[in-house]
Formats: sequence, structure tokens, C-alpha cells
Amino acid sequence: MTGSPQYHLERVRKVFGRGQVALEGFDLQVAEGERVALIGPSGAGKTTLFRMLNCTIRPTAGRLSIGGQEVAELYGRRLREMRRRIGTIYQQHNLVPRLRVVHNVLSGRLGSWSLLGSLASLARPAGLETAHRALTDVGIGEKLFSRTDELSGGQQQRVAIARVLMQDPDVILADEPVSSVDPSLAETIIKLLLAISDHTGKTLLVNLHSTDLALSYFPRVIGMKAGVKLFDTAAAQVTPELLQELYSGHVPENGAGEPSREPEPRRIAV
Amino acid sequence: MSLPPRTLGSRSIFPYLFGGLFLFLVADSWRRAEVNPGIFFEAEGREHLWRFVTGMYPPELSWEFLELMVRPTLETIQISVMGTLIAVLIGFPLGLLATSTFSFQGLLHESEYRGTGVRHGLKVGLYGLARGLLSLFRCIPEFVWAFMFVRAVGLGPFPGVLAIGVAYGGMLGKVYSEIFESVNTRPLEAIQSTGAGRLQIFFYGWFPQVLPNITSYTMYRWECAVRTSAILGLVGAGGIGQQIEISIRMFNFHEVTTLLLILFALVAGADYVSAKVRSLL
Ligand SMILES: Nc1ncnc2c1ncn2[C@@H]1O[C@H](COP(=O)(O)OP(=O)(O)OP(=O)(O)O)[C@@H](O)[C@H]1O
Ligand SMILES: [Mg+2]
Repeated sequence: MTGSPQYHLERVRKVFGRGQVALEGFDLQVAEGERVALIGPSGAGKTTLFRMLNCTIRPTAGRLSIGGQEVAELYGRRLREMRRRIGTIYQQHNLVPRLRVVHNVLSGRLGSWSLLGSLASLARPAGLETAHRALTDVGIGEKLFSRTDELSGGQQQRVAIARVLMQDPDVILADEPVSSVDPSLAETIIKLLLAISDHTGKTLLVNLHSTDLALSYFPRVIGMKAGVKLFDTAAAQVTPELLQELYSGHVPENGAGEPSREPEPRRIAV
Repeated sequence: MSLPPRTLGSRSIFPYLFGGLFLFLVADSWRRAEVNPGIFFEAEGREHLWRFVTGMYPPELSWEFLELMVRPTLETIQISVMGTLIAVLIGFPLGLLATSTFSFQGLLHESEYRGTGVRHGLKVGLYGLARGLLSLFRCIPEFVWAFMFVRAVGLGPFPGVLAIGVAYGGMLGKVYSEIFESVNTRPLEAIQSTGAGRLQIFFYGWFPQVLPNITSYTMYRWECAVRTSAILGLVGAGGIGQQIEISIRMFNFHEVTTLLLILFALVAGADYVSAKVRSLL
């Protein structure tokens, strides 16, 4: 993965069913080891961009290559291998609520485990030590054997971070990793992610609703709005006017600046 | 300000259509099913009822009879357990195939494979086949299944087991597939993003989400199977039902009372056990 830029996007476009355009003409270059913050109003397309960057959805049009490989040409095993090298901390709780914390953390290893190995681990967790260390790194080591749905929102977010630590990817994508923790913990978590990227040379992309955090901790900041890139520059170059423009005309849809939520899937009670 | 376009068809006439149809059906059924509560208040009707009720009292409680009934009682339990087990074995795989998000669309398929039409067609075909089989199994009543299996394998508990297995397999499969469709896909996507394969996603993300629901529904169905196995006995499929049928034929209504009491105890017991299991989930 050396030489070529880690991410190379050219005129990427994403349209969801019923003609919902989430991303339009998006160009992006990210070098290995770079640390980038993405900011923008709710509905700008940040989460959609990350889902393409981690290869779980495909662009409708345009070019997306990672480490010199065209993602459009990846299928099956090679696609999974690519995904394994990209770790994502999701915005909404993407943990399995019924599983114990330890299994959610260990699920970060699934890309490296065989099917039988991963099944065996459900009965008798493999790599308890490392899972415990990852949880301790995010400050909730004592929750190792708790049931995940008994944790608070912020604790669950940290479990998701621990899962990425277990995955040990080349790239970390963090989609609003601090949306449900208090401000001081938010700073701690951002610092933790930066430290990991520092020590291991991992590329780090973070979506943030807090412009303060983005501007004070990240050398490069990208502003996006309504599916297009508004600016992509050094943090020092981001002026109040630019921010004004980024968030102007933006009427909060679901409460002030709240991240938008996709509707929960329908559940049936039996 | 203009309203955003409605994407879900809420301006449909179907609610009115179905509402009207429903009212019509209720009114029509009342008339045609000869519902007549007045019968309870006429002297003749009351007398019939009274004779029927007194004829059943007291229950037959002699040791001889009770001892004879131990085997059929156990048999009823065995039929319900084995029948439910077979139903799960039929319902689970068919239910999975009959789940669109498992068999041909959603995150296990989109962006995973190069889209060849043949492969997709095959998956959709399998899905349709599973749905068809489940409907078939379910729409033929247990009673009729039992009748056919008695013809095929002879009298005794085995046809009862088969009948429950097939009919309940259809019901379980249908409800399982609804439970599967309602799985929250966000955790699945997160697991997928770590590079996990389809089966790993299934066991780590899917299965833990559906397990409590399918267990509790299966337990509920087992409860029903206890009662059903009694009905099936009436066509010769073993268990208490067969004894009830014999006693009725012999006009031994005291025995019928005892058998109904046993059945009541069985159903209550099944209810208790299944509640216990559900509370553990
Ligand atoms: N699965 C989907 N189907 C249809 N439309 C979608 C889907 N996912 C996202 N969208 C739409 O794409 C647009 C961008 O959504 P996205 O989730 O990427 O925004 P975001 O920048 O992450 O917002 P937030 O800051 O609130 O998390 C929104 O208008 C959203 O409605
Ligand atoms: Mg988002």
C-alpha cells in the first residue's frame, strides 16, 4: 500500500433508491497516515461517503480506488480482505445488543478468523486478553462480560472503538465517534484516536459535528454540504466565513443540529 | 411551504375497501353461521345442555382407568415434542430461504457478487419455492395431514408426529421469516465492514438478534401442539385424543371428563414450562 495515495476518489456519485442523491461529483485524495476531519450539516452525505470508503456500499458512478486497487473490481475474498484493512466506528450503535461486550469487541477479528474459529469463540472467547486491553484503552475494561444492551450510549460507542482496535486496520474511519459522550470524554476519545494513528501510522478520517474539535485537533479539514465538497484545506485556513457558509441555510431537521437518523427497521413482537 | 412528496402510498383506497369488506363479512357470517344466543334461554335448549353437563359428572377416577391412561398421556407429550422438533427442522431452513434479505437482496448480496442474472434468478426462484412450500404446509389443516399420514403409515403416534411436524413447520417457517426480515441490519453492516464472511455475519449479527424471538414463538407453538395432538388422536393418531374418541364412542362421558382434565393439566404444564424458558431469554 505504498506509493499511491491511500484513497483516490474521482467524481464519485451516490444515488439511493427513488432518486435520492446523497453524493455528487466528489473528488478526494488521502495519503497514507494522514489525519482528516470532515464537517458539514446533517444530511451532507458524510456517513454515505464513509460507507463507500469502507467498501460496504458501492458508488453509483465515478472512480474509487484504495491503495491503488479499484474497488469496482473487488469481489468475494478480495473484497473482504480490503474491508478487513479498513476499520469503521459507526455513528449509530452498530453493535449486536444481545451479545456480550466481549463478543462485540472480538467481532473486529472476524476478517482474520476462520468460520469455525469464530464459532468456537462464541462459546469460549478467543483472545480475552487483547479484548480486555482494548476495552481498558477506552476506559471500560470492567464491562468485558456485560451484556451490550445494558451499557450507556457513550459506553457502547467506546465498545465500537475497542472493536476497531481489535481489528487493527490500516485505515480508521470514525463516524461521529463522540456524538453521545460528554465534552471532556469527547476530547479524550479524539486524542486516543489521534494517538493510535500517530503510533501506528494509520490513516484517520473522522466525521465531526463539533467544528471546535475538528479545527483544533486535525491538520486537514473537509467541509461538505448537500453531497458536494465545499472546501478541503488546512485547519488554519478555515475562516469563520467559510463555516458560516457551510452551515448557512441549514435548517435543523430533527432538532438543533442533531444528527439525522435513518428510520429504525420495523420490528414485530411475538 | 410545500409539503415533501409522499413516498409511501397513504392516499390509498384500500383501507376503506378492506374496512367495508370486513364489516360486510361480520354481518354476513352472523346470519349464515346461524348464530342464535336465544337458544340458551329456551327451555328445551337448557335441558339439553343440562343433561350433557350432568352426564359428564363425576369424572372417572378409578385406579384402573387412571393407570390405563398413563401411557396415552405420555404419548401425547411425546407427540407434541417430536412434532415440534420436526416442525423446527422444517421451518428454520425454509424460513431462512423465504426471507428476502437472506436469500437474494440486502447487504449479504448487493456489492458482494458480480451481478450475473442467472445466479440472481436462481436465488429468487429458491425464495419463491420456499414460500410456496410453507404456504402449502400451513394451509392444509393438521387434521387433514394426520388423516393422510394415518393412511400412509398406519395408526399410532407416528402419523400425529408427522402431521404436527409438517403443519407446524409451515407456521413456524412463516413466522421465522418475518422475524428474520425484521432484523436490524446496522450491526450486520458493522460486522461486514470488518471483512467478515456471510456465515460469520449470520452467526455474530443475525442469529443473536433473532434467537429470543424464535425461541419464544417456538415454545408457544409447542404449547399449541400439546392441544393439537389431542385433536389428532380423534383420527387415530394416538395419545389422549384417541382415548377421548374411544370414550365418546362408548358413551363413557365420565371418562371424557377425566381425559379433558388431564389435557388441561398438560396444557397448563406446557404453558408453565414455556413461560419459564421465555423468562430466561
Ligand atoms: N439508505 C438510504 N436510502 C435513501 N436515502 C439515504 C440513505 N442513506 C442516506 N440517505 C440520504 O442521503 C443523504 C445523506 O445522508 P448521510 O447519512 O450520509 O448524511 P450525514 O452527513 O451522515 O448526516 P448526519 O450528520 O446527520 O449523520 C440524506 O439526505 C439521507 O436522507
Ligand atoms: Mg451521518
